[in-house]
Amino acid sequence: MGSNTEVTVEAHVPTLMRRLRRYGRILTGNPGAMRRPIGFLILAVIVASLVSPSFLTVRNGAAVLTSSSFLIVVAVGEAFVVLVGMINLGVESILAAGGMFVAWLFVFHSIPTGWALFLTLLVAIGVGCLAGLLVARAGIPSFIVTLGAYWGFRGIALLFNGGNYISPNAVTPPRPFGFAGIAGSIGGVPVLIIIMVLVVAAGQLVLSFTPLGTWIRATGSNEEAARAVGIRTSFIKVLVFALSGLLAALAGIMITAWQNSIYPLTGEGYSLEAIAGVILGGIPFTGGRGSIVGAALGALVVGVINDVIVLVGLPSLYEYIFVAVILILAGLQTRGGPFVK
Amino acid sequence: MGSETANLNSQESSGKDRQPLLAVRDLVKTFGPVEAVAGVSIDFYPGEVVGIIGDNGAGKSTFLSLLAGFHQPDSGTFMHRGRPVSITTPRTARNRLRIEMIYQRLELAPDLTVWENLFLGEERRVMGVFSDRKSMPARAAEVLKQLKTKIKPGDIVGTLSGGEQQVVAIGRALLFERDVIIMDEPTAAISVQKVDDVIELIRQLKSYGKTVLLVSHRLEDVLAVCDRIVVFFHGKIRTILKNAGLQVSDLIHEMF
Repeated sequence: MGSNTEVTVEAHVPTLMRRLRRYGRILTGNPGAMRRPIGFLILAVIVASLVSPSFLTVRNGAAVLTSSSFLIVVAVGEAFVVLVGMINLGVESILAAGGMFVAWLFVFHSIPTGWALFLTLLVAIGVGCLAGLLVARAGIPSFIVTLGAYWGFRGIALLFNGGNYISPNAVTPPRPFGFAGIAGSIGGVPVLIIIMVLVVAAGQLVLSFTPLGTWIRATGSNEEAARAVGIRTSFIKVLVFALSGLLAALAGIMITAWQNSIYPLTGEGYSLEAIAGVILGGIPFTGGRGSIVGAALGALVVGVINDVIVLVGLPSLYEYIFVAVILILAGLQTRGGPFVK
Repeated sequence: MGSETANLNSQESSGKDRQPLLAVRDLVKTFGPVEAVAGVSIDFYPGEVVGIIGDNGAGKSTFLSLLAGFHQPDSGTFMHRGRPVSITTPRTARNRLRIEMIYQRLELAPDLTVWENLFLGEERRVMGVFSDRKSMPARAAEVLKQLKTKIKPGDIVGTLSGGEQQVVAIGRALLFERDVIIMDEPTAAISVQKVDDVIELIRQLKSYGKTVLLVSHRLEDVLAVCDRIVVFFHGKIRTILKNAGLQVSDLIHEMF
């Protein structure tokens, strides 16, 4: 490529804004770069330890990771959906309905542990597939379909026990959850953290190291191009919704084990917090770029904010305000659009 | 590319004594009352660059979309290396007949790297499920070297200029050893200075024995690189010109 005298206006006349953005990008990397969520996390941890000295203790560290594990697992599923340029608002309700369903099967119907878990995850995959088909095949925007799922599954969660929670004590004699071990620990490491790490690692493995991951990113980046080379983009969409349904239900099972009970309203706000985490993690709403680890770190930032609010003793309403501010900041830096060299 | 010299030699006789790579006979395609392609017959030979020109609506695009498998003809036949074939889908065109269409709006994923785009949909694997992240970038580097570009396999496609993206799109055709490369207005989306690079790229493809079908409104580009120029008019081939001593004005005269 011989000449360097390109006459495109963009290359020649950098406006002040463009120049500023260019310098900014040197610090923050391109959209989707890992530097960004890591930066946010460091910032959150610094602020957290300044306002609450007890934040930076091993005990609290493990506590933050444990209580964030549900959100992170949900955020991994959400990340795949956002990567193809769509949204899933229904994950928190699928989480609640999944938790209620597994408890309902186990406590009220004495279904063996393995079967109860299997059925719950299977139904969640089916629900995700249905949402995916409505989006990919029927052409309904994902916002609408999953807003429907948000209301619908919250309702279903309420149906299982007439709006009440389910715990092992709901029957006599009590029937302790067979999967309570999920809330335990192996070699001093909480199982919830292990599951969370495995989910994040598996998600990143698929995204970075398999053709499927490339197809997912290609579908979000330029669906037409993906289709032109023979990628079945409808299948990809159904797949990511199935995955986010599966992971939401898994989080529901985890939270049920952790609380040793499940409430129909458990997980309220998780959908939007997971989306916030994904955006903080550097995946733009248009999809195509970003990482699962980034999304997990973004969700962890939300978890840190939640934790520090409890530590400082602020009412939990502040959580909403802080998450809102962080989300807008994240959105500002995760806009889609051109890369800068 | 062992057959390079053989192809170069045969160009003197413009390949007419050889078997055509792709022979098209009496191709017809109608859209409702409009006869977009109204009985087109032509032979394409290996290692030639064929310019396809004509006014808007003359039937060029429809003709090419029939070759690339995006539409099916109402009637007419294709002969590929002497055997009758039907081109039913873009997939058959690409994988069985080795015809690749490069669009005016380049079909690339801007967020992916160059090598990911090159292999998109046809990834090499290890252990059945994982992407072969060693051999694909290495092979991509070879293809890029063949195209004499300084693009790196790991570059993000969205950071490349229009001309460089053109190279990536062409790289796909070269990578999968397509025989026929259809280029729809390759110089329309890039800056004037880069046009020569694309022309040079087409010459390289020809030297590798590829058949290039070039659709362009920039008649000087067509004259610069094509061996033969096909003029479409009202869905038919009005004339096929040998590119020797032709002027832009000659082409314009034939087009209207």
